[in-house]
Amino acid sequence: MPSCKRRAKLFTGLLLAAVTCLGSVAAEGFGDDWRQFRGPNCSGISRSEVSLPTKFSFEDKVLWSHEVGDGIASAVIADGRCYCTGLLGDTETEGIFVVYCFDATTGTEHWRREFTTGDLPRITRPNSHASSTPATDGERVYVYFSTLGLMVLDCKTGQDVWKEPIEQPQYLLGWGAASSPVLVNDMVVFAQDDDLNPFIAAWEAKSGSLQWRTERPDMLGGYAAPVLCTANGRTDIVLAGSGKMKGYDPSDGKELWTCNSLLRTVMTTPVVAGDRIFITIQSYGDTDRHLKPALLEWKDTNQDGKLSREEVPRVFWKKFDKGDANKDDLLVDQEIDAAFQSPNNMVGGGNIIQSIRGGGMGDVTKTHLDWNLDSRAPSNLSSPLVVDGRLFLVKKGGLSSCFDAEDGKTLWKLKRIRNLGDYYASPVYGDGKIYVTGENGFVVVLENGSKLKRLAKNDMGESILATPSIADGKLFFRTRNRLIVVGEES
Amino acid sequence: MFGRNLLICSFLSCVVLLSGSAVAAGPNVEVVVGPDAPPLETLAAEELAAQFRTLFEAEPSIVQSESNKAVPRVLIGSPETNPAVKEVIGANWPKLSKQGHLIRSLQVNGQPALVVGGGSPVATLWAVYELGQHFGMRYTAHGDQIPAVKPEFKLSGIDKTLEPQHKQRIWRTVNDFPIGPESWGLAEQKQMLRQLAKLKYNRLMISVWPWQPFVDYEFQGTKKQTATLFFGEEFPVSGDIPGRAAFRGAKVFTNPDFAKAKNYEQMTAAGVKLLSGIIDEAHRLGMRVGLSISPLEFPKEFAAVLPDAPEPHGLNKLVIGPGPEQTPQDQQLLELVRTKIRAYIEAYPDIDDIYLTMPEFPAWVAHAEQSWDQLDAKVGLAETLKYQDAIKAARERKTIASGDRGENAVKGNIAAIDFLHNLDPNGRLFVSPKGHEIKGVLTAMDPALYPIADKLIPEYVELLHFVDYTARRVLANKELLAKLPPAAAKRSMIIVTLADDNVGVLPQLATGDIHQLLAETKKLGWAGFSTRYWLVGDLDPTLHYLSRASFDPGVTPKSAYNDLFDGICGPGVSQRTTLAFEAIEKATAIVDKHGLGFTFPVQGMVMKHYDSSPAPDWWKEASDAYTEAMVEMYRGQTRAGKAGRNYILYHAKRHEFAVTYFAALTALRAAAEAQKAGDKEKAYKEMDKAVEALYNATKCLGEVAVSNSDRGLIAVMGHYGFRPLMKEFDRIEAEE
Repeated sequence: MPSCKRRAKLFTGLLLAAVTCLGSVAAEGFGDDWRQFRGPNCSGISRSEVSLPTKFSFEDKVLWSHEVGDGIASAVIADGRCYCTGLLGDTETEGIFVVYCFDATTGTEHWRREFTTGDLPRITRPNSHASSTPATDGERVYVYFSTLGLMVLDCKTGQDVWKEPIEQPQYLLGWGAASSPVLVNDMVVFAQDDDLNPFIAAWEAKSGSLQWRTERPDMLGGYAAPVLCTANGRTDIVLAGSGKMKGYDPSDGKELWTCNSLLRTVMTTPVVAGDRIFITIQSYGDTDRHLKPALLEWKDTNQDGKLSREEVPRVFWKKFDKGDANKDDLLVDQEIDAAFQSPNNMVGGGNIIQSIRGGGMGDVTKTHLDWNLDSRAPSNLSSPLVVDGRLFLVKKGGLSSCFDAEDGKTLWKLKRIRNLGDYYASPVYGDGKIYVTGENGFVVVLENGSKLKRLAKNDMGESILATPSIADGKLFFRTRNRLIVVGEES
Repeated sequence: MFGRNLLICSFLSCVVLLSGSAVAAGPNVEVVVGPDAPPLETLAAEELAAQFRTLFEAEPSIVQSESNKAVPRVLIGSPETNPAVKEVIGANWPKLSKQGHLIRSLQVNGQPALVVGGGSPVATLWAVYELGQHFGMRYTAHGDQIPAVKPEFKLSGIDKTLEPQHKQRIWRTVNDFPIGPESWGLAEQKQMLRQLAKLKYNRLMISVWPWQPFVDYEFQGTKKQTATLFFGEEFPVSGDIPGRAAFRGAKVFTNPDFAKAKNYEQMTAAGVKLLSGIIDEAHRLGMRVGLSISPLEFPKEFAAVLPDAPEPHGLNKLVIGPGPEQTPQDQQLLELVRTKIRAYIEAYPDIDDIYLTMPEFPAWVAHAEQSWDQLDAKVGLAETLKYQDAIKAARERKTIASGDRGENAVKGNIAAIDFLHNLDPNGRLFVSPKGHEIKGVLTAMDPALYPIADKLIPEYVELLHFVDYTARRVLANKELLAKLPPAAAKRSMIIVTLADDNVGVLPQLATGDIHQLLAETKKLGWAGFSTRYWLVGDLDPTLHYLSRASFDPGVTPKSAYNDLFDGICGPGVSQRTTLAFEAIEKATAIVDKHGLGFTFPVQGMVMKHYDSSPAPDWWKEASDAYTEAMVEMYRGQTRAGKAGRNYILYHAKRHEFAVTYFAALTALRAAAEAQKAGDKEKAYKEMDKAVEALYNATKCLGEVAVSNSDRGLIAVMGHYGFRPLMKEFDRIEAEE
């Protein structure tokens, strides 16, 4: 098919998808609300026509800002209200988890709710306990915290609507919780891929009644958020995880398809454009590096090539026993694999960029993987951005790359945006610009186009791990300790 | 009705029970001090109570006489200071030196009890800290580490008596460079002093330099005008420098106590306040305090009264010294030095000691032979050592100061010692306005003069010996140590370099060499040691070793490392962390041997490696050792409990800094090589790698910065390393 027709098909698909996604997202509201992690369908794209600033800083074009405590979750905005979370007090042992509601225009605090966290589990820096981005439909705000579960508060008053205790995630390497809820139709969907009991579940948004829960036993720890893909006449919930991208039926959580083309550790969220799902992954090690080498490198503290019970966190002892074939209280060789990594999913590491078509059924690995690039471009944490037929990504060192979304052709690769350091936040798009946020607190603004063009480098004053949010002509930057909102003064 | 009453009673019972449970958290303990307990023993009791609260959630009450309650007791002090101690143990109290201390379990009124005391009030304080160590507390440079495994509250079965292996344990502070305690304000100094007390240091040496803002004086119309820190350098830390998170928005790195000082008077006032505060706190903790000055160096404005002073020398050329026309008998020079010394003593009348340090690179050598003759006439040197033999020894030795440098060193020493003999003929200079005598210590006598040390230096003056930069280098020349006569050896201390500024900003440990060196000096009857270091955060393994080994001859570096980490992190971790620290020792020895000045923290520290010659083999060796250390640290971290993980992360990030630093320098060399070969594309790529690696290296430091010297290091790396490197990168990129 000639490329122009394919592009037209892609554009139509995009338009359809945009309409469908908007329809799938619950509740009416302001046109450019940002209601969950990375906004509409976790895409990172604001289609609002309100202009956004190019140059700004923690001292310039600031509309309002607040100290909100430690945190790396994004702010979400709906119906003129901004919701944000933070951890106050002792961030190591027991603190106060706060949910804030601010007026999105003036920053006036409408309400705040405080929750004692109880004993905080171990996490790995630079993760924060306040790491999960809330979701809101304008009526309720849905908030997750590892020791408190899923809490749903009334948008107007902050009062409890319903709660769902969720088991704390357990990661063999102690990373800590960081999954975020998303909204699908009239449900809130939450996926938690840990190393112990990975699952995806949906509750009715209004009442909290559990609609379905689907276990994902062949997954290892990961942090992708669920997204929606409309293809082949239906809309699936799509979740990327260890080794596999899966599509689920939103009505009952049944697995509809699987594409077994991913790598071992998936911390990025895929992006949907049209009927395509784009995923970029950097997973430590090479293709032979299953979980076992990582465990032997880091958990085998006496380096005897075996895992003893004392070397494995207690919560995993049941899995330990499952793998310990000869019952000698040691895991050796295949016993380690048997204990912790599913035999149906023995995947290793590497770097990939893939385009997968939605709408399939069953195992679509051979049929729906459109293209795959084995490329050094991806980050392990910063998700890609797909806008106007281009897939943009950034990784550590401020190395950016851009590919044609249609066929994976390189537009540019590993070019510096002149801001060094780590990248945890994902890039976002609005008003013809791409905003790329470095952990060092500098935000580089690029022109959206097929060539790399830097427009500005803006200092937000302190470390940023959270992906920025865009709503009503404003950019919401959640720095490590503050929420700073910038925009053109009206 | 009956049922309702029963319900109410049950409810009330539950409330009472629950209330009772909530109140009784930990054991009640009586801490008994003497009714006239000296302040240090009162402090000891308070410290013990605080530790018991932390360790056991205990409810300690400090009393001056035992009650009749059936509770466990701790009796603080000695039979001389606490009647309760005298009563229970007086007859069995062992003979203790003033530094000796004990912990002994016994029973009092049928209850378990402890006697925690010493041969002096400060020794009693140490006994309390020893008890904390017994229960798992670990005392590190950045604070106390609570044991990972909660200890059992058990007062029985303890019987420890400790006497010092090294009687003089001196800690140096202030000194120079932003990466050291020159950057610490009083709050940080006090925090460190409290840790030093726990590590049983009994002396503090405050090392200050002529250009610093710690004294004011005027001589014959010339006023001191220089009052600066960090050799007068400013370190901007805003913008996109790596590791800026550590500065929390500050635009310039500074010692916080000087942040508001804008002129000479304000700087000096802040400086005097700082040192006075340090002296007070050290005294409160039972330490002797001395001031170390360089008597023959002056800020350059004093050229007006030093007629033929050579050009200013040293870093940023801040100091001058006497010229060849001035002899060690020159009255003007003598009076200038007396003025300076009097100014220090008047500013700090509470000091106990004054350390007079010989210049490292003396220029005042013209009168050496004359001085020798003067001294010989006075004290009779020739029967033991001839002048020419001293010169020969200095030239031929294998220490860093050998050859011409060695000859100058010993000549400068001879002239300076002659001068000092003339300094205080009436014996009134070193007397405090408060009336007490200030004891003298001579620092850095040249080893070529050791055979005559007892003749040259009066017996009431102690000796602090430098010999060479690191313990490894001193050990390689240990035959020099034996040349000190016994009368001089017994009042001698050796400077032990915990971390050398020449090895520089990389993590360093030299515990193994220090262990051997101290064994050597102890064998020779030396009195102890004094520490030399800049960055302090890496040094916990050595600090713990020194603290334990100073009272227990059986302690080795490895046993100390294991003990430190078993306490902090719980079981199974120390086997990794000990490997890590042994790898750091290996890396330190490699850099010390091959790369003196390798990462010396001054202008040009990075760009001096922009050199097209191939990187030396030892770079890879050292880098591999740092990599091994980093991997083992991270491995240990995955096993450690919550508190231990953060502690280990500090060290792991420091090791990661070293690994990435080497990567930066290696890429920098490759860039220079490519430039020379005309391969612009490769030069650009390698320079790009170097920039990113240096950025990441410095960022590692920013993620774990604790002290102001940690921040000082980040400021130094940004100002001296990253910015000049970026400048060159921008230039190459523009060419590309």
